[in-house]
Amino acid sequence: MSHDSHATHHVNYLAIFLVLCCCTALSVVFDVLHFAKPVTIVLVFAVAVAKALCVMMFFMHLKFEGNWKYVLLAPTTILAIGLPLALMPDIGVSYYTSTAPQAGAWGRDVAAWEATQRANAKAGGAAHE
Amino acid sequence: MSHSAQPSALKMGIPIPNSKLGMWLFLGTEIMFFTAFIGSYIVLRLGSHGWPSNPADTHINVFLGGVNTFVLIVSSYLVVLAHEAMVSRDFSRARRFLTGTLGLAFLFLGIKAVEYAGKFSHDILPGHIAETPLQAMRKVDRELERVVRRRFAVYSDYRMIDVTQRDDISTVANQIAAFGAGAELPKGASDSRAEVLRPQAAKDVELFRQYSRLHEHLVADVSLSMPASGPEYGAARAALKPGESFPPLTLSEVEEFLELLRKDETWGGAVSSGVFQPHVMLYGNLFASIYFLITGFHAIHVVVGMILFAVVLLQRDRLDEKWSDFVENSGLYWHFVDLVWIFVFPLLYIIH
Repeated sequence: MSHDSHATHHVNYLAIFLVLCCCTALSVVFDVLHFAKPVTIVLVFAVAVAKALCVMMFFMHLKFEGNWKYVLLAPTTILAIGLPLALMPDIGVSYYTSTAPQAGAWGRDVAAWEATQRANAKAGGAAHE
Repeated sequence: MSHSAQPSALKMGIPIPNSKLGMWLFLGTEIMFFTAFIGSYIVLRLGSHGWPSNPADTHINVFLGGVNTFVLIVSSYLVVLAHEAMVSRDFSRARRFLTGTLGLAFLFLGIKAVEYAGKFSHDILPGHIAETPLQAMRKVDRELERVVRRRFAVYSDYRMIDVTQRDDISTVANQIAAFGAGAELPKGASDSRAEVLRPQAAKDVELFRQYSRLHEHLVADVSLSMPASGPEYGAARAALKPGESFPPLTLSEVEEFLELLRKDETWGGAVSSGVFQPHVMLYGNLFASIYFLITGFHAIHVVVGMILFAVVLLQRDRLDEKWSDFVENSGLYWHFVDLVWIFVFPLLYIIH
């Protein structure tokens, strides 16, 4: 049944493969070009979603499957998104703030370390002069 | 009423083979499994300001990640072709494509192994990363102590010294110092071995003294330029004015100290290999945990896929149309593995 369903649809797998390769190259190009961070994130994720859609629709044949795919995948997707959403308020938004002990200790230690580095650099610069 | 008079049973269920339905249900659970990891990573990263993103710190290799992405895409393409060949009953062709997929899976794991080796060689491991300069100094202290103990173990292993309390490193150091100065050997010790070890004993004791010096300064939190123990420390402390304190030990001092130790001819090599370059990376442990968790579980899935393909390939000439569903379902699984990597690659490798 399933074989018949996608056997009747001809898919140019080579074209899909080439699109996937181009998308991968694009991801690396976006990394190399050093856009602003939010721009890079949007671009890279757009490419990842496009690649995922190509794989799911054509390689996994979901484009040619019946409506059962929605019945099967919709609850899974909703449940999968649930965990990150549940974690977001306590961890994503307000976990390690600048007043958290770890960040505080880091701040003190780094301030001392950076002051020494600056002093050393200054001493080195004076020596060169 | 006869049974034959009853209406025929309704044809129920989803119009796909049971095995395929089973695979899709399994993939549904897999989606939740990986979304839990990837989603948690995104949330943790959003909540951790100062997340390590510099490849020089994390030793993330974008090039190798990109190559692995390409490898998985090619393997996915080959699986699709293998399934097509199975449907058109060209089984030897299907075997060739599956062999290619299996080879690419090995290549993927090989590249991953190279990446992991890079992480291990820089000690980018969960629980090993110093997140503050103080932790970095303590790490150097611990690692240097391990180097000293390893060098001291040679003397006790060859019975050059009679160690009753191996944990007491100062006592062991005193015994090694005495051995170096020509003290009588314990019973059963080899004279020829003693001749080899005796000249380096004083140097190893000197390494212990260097370690002790660092340890004392770390415990007292006093700069290496000041005394941290003994009468000099007491005198310097007495000379402090009210409200004054010794300058604290800094990480750059420890780095310089370590650099000097590494230059030593006798134990420079041991220090270089035993003590990692101090490196501060805020949230480094969280990063390492997530990196190994996600990529590790993905690699396990790659191995499972390889087993599935190996099962098909082991059929050799017996491979026939009965295996079509198996190849299709294995292919679905493999595409899912590819799908996960499609999101892991930008998340872990590209977005700094």
